[in-house]
Amino acid sequence: MTLDHERILELLAGYAVRSLSGEDAAEADRLLSEHVPSCASCRESLADFQALSGELALAPPSRMPPDLLLPRLHRELEQRVVARRPRLFLVAAAAGVVAVLGMGALSVGLGIRASNGQAKTALFADALRTANRSDATKVPLISSTGSRGMTEVSAPGLEHVYLVGEAVPPPAPGMVYRVWFHSTEGWKWAGDFLPDPGITVLELAIPTRVDEIRITEEPEGARGNGPADTERWSATFLAA
Amino acid sequence: MRDEERLDLELHRRLQEGDREAFDELYRRYSGAAFGLAYRITKQEALAQEVVHDAFLAAWRAPEAFDPARGTFRTFFLSLVHHRAVDTVRREERLRKRTERVANLEPERGEDVAEDVVESTYLVQRRKEVREALETLPPEQRKVLEMAYFGGYTQTRIAEELGIPVGTVKTRTLAAMRKLRRALSREDEAG
Repeated sequence: MTLDHERILELLAGYAVRSLSGEDAAEADRLLSEHVPSCASCRESLADFQALSGELALAPPSRMPPDLLLPRLHRELEQRVVARRPRLFLVAAAAGVVAVLGMGALSVGLGIRASNGQAKTALFADALRTANRSDATKVPLISSTGSRGMTEVSAPGLEHVYLVGEAVPPPAPGMVYRVWFHSTEGWKWAGDFLPDPGITVLELAIPTRVDEIRITEEPEGARGNGPADTERWSATFLAA
Repeated sequence: MRDEERLDLELHRRLQEGDREAFDELYRRYSGAAFGLAYRITKQEALAQEVVHDAFLAAWRAPEAFDPARGTFRTFFLSLVHHRAVDTVRREERLRKRTERVANLEPERGEDVAEDVVESTYLVQRRKEVREALETLPPEQRKVLEMAYFGGYTQTRIAEELGIPVGTVKTRTLAAMRKLRRALSREDEAG
């Protein structure tokens, strides 16, 4: 094994225990998308480290969670049943007012409201086509406030995802909804949006290795390095 | 494949079909381990509860995230809990004054008592093996690994806290992981 591979394994070990930050995290992301898929040895090591990370979870003693947790989960499981009708929801919504925010690539055009009605309609049609694909994945975002839901729509081969919401309530005056992505590099701002009545469709170019999307309600303009403690919706994904 | 893993696979299959009884059974099997882990990392019951809540909801909402070809459901799910707990600690760190226990990441007094948690014999045995494997690590490797895994510290922060180069943190982490992997593989073969 070369010295370079030893360095790679150091990064993969750190990645598996979630202790990378800054340039190391970015380098690990690059390795995971460029080197590891084509290197059997690294794939095997990563799988071993990730399994080990799951085993280490057993070291602390078990503790009973509060009795209220399971009933709370049961209540929220019901919401999933409602949210798991994206196709019907999308088709039904097509006749309504279409309000679209196109966010494009992460680095440009963020927060620019699409003013062209045709562009909005085209984007909505794209989202609808994707949602109706047999291989599409539709993940309802969990609402922290009980407000109307948003659904993430994606499909294999697409480098972007859609977030689709119906009758999304407006944020408080002076506030915007702020979209954040989380990866091993930490939080990255994706853009701001204000919903219109009817349907909101966001098209997001999603970076690799994103493990969480979070939408917060924050003051317009003022923005920190990570999401404020005002979560409205979120979806979590486990990196493979 | 062990019976435990086979049962988890069946429960996961049913979870994909929206079977709430399967969800409840997975909760019964892993909520104790999940909450114990989340509490160790966050050191707050309320935060640990949120972590476990989010992890179970994520498993219910997107069961397809688990790929049986990549490992067991148990390690998948507890990794998910770990990741969320670490992220929560880092998020909360700037919002609260966190108790600094860098020098003492051992269980608190009384923390090891969990008579009310019912776990399978296999899980109890595996827990013992993991702890014994950790005990075999040289102290400096174990320290670095525990600060990262249970403390939620980045490697940069660990280097600062211990006054050692980041490169040393990396090599100790890798060495610890390799040694643990060997130790637990031996236990697997023996089991």
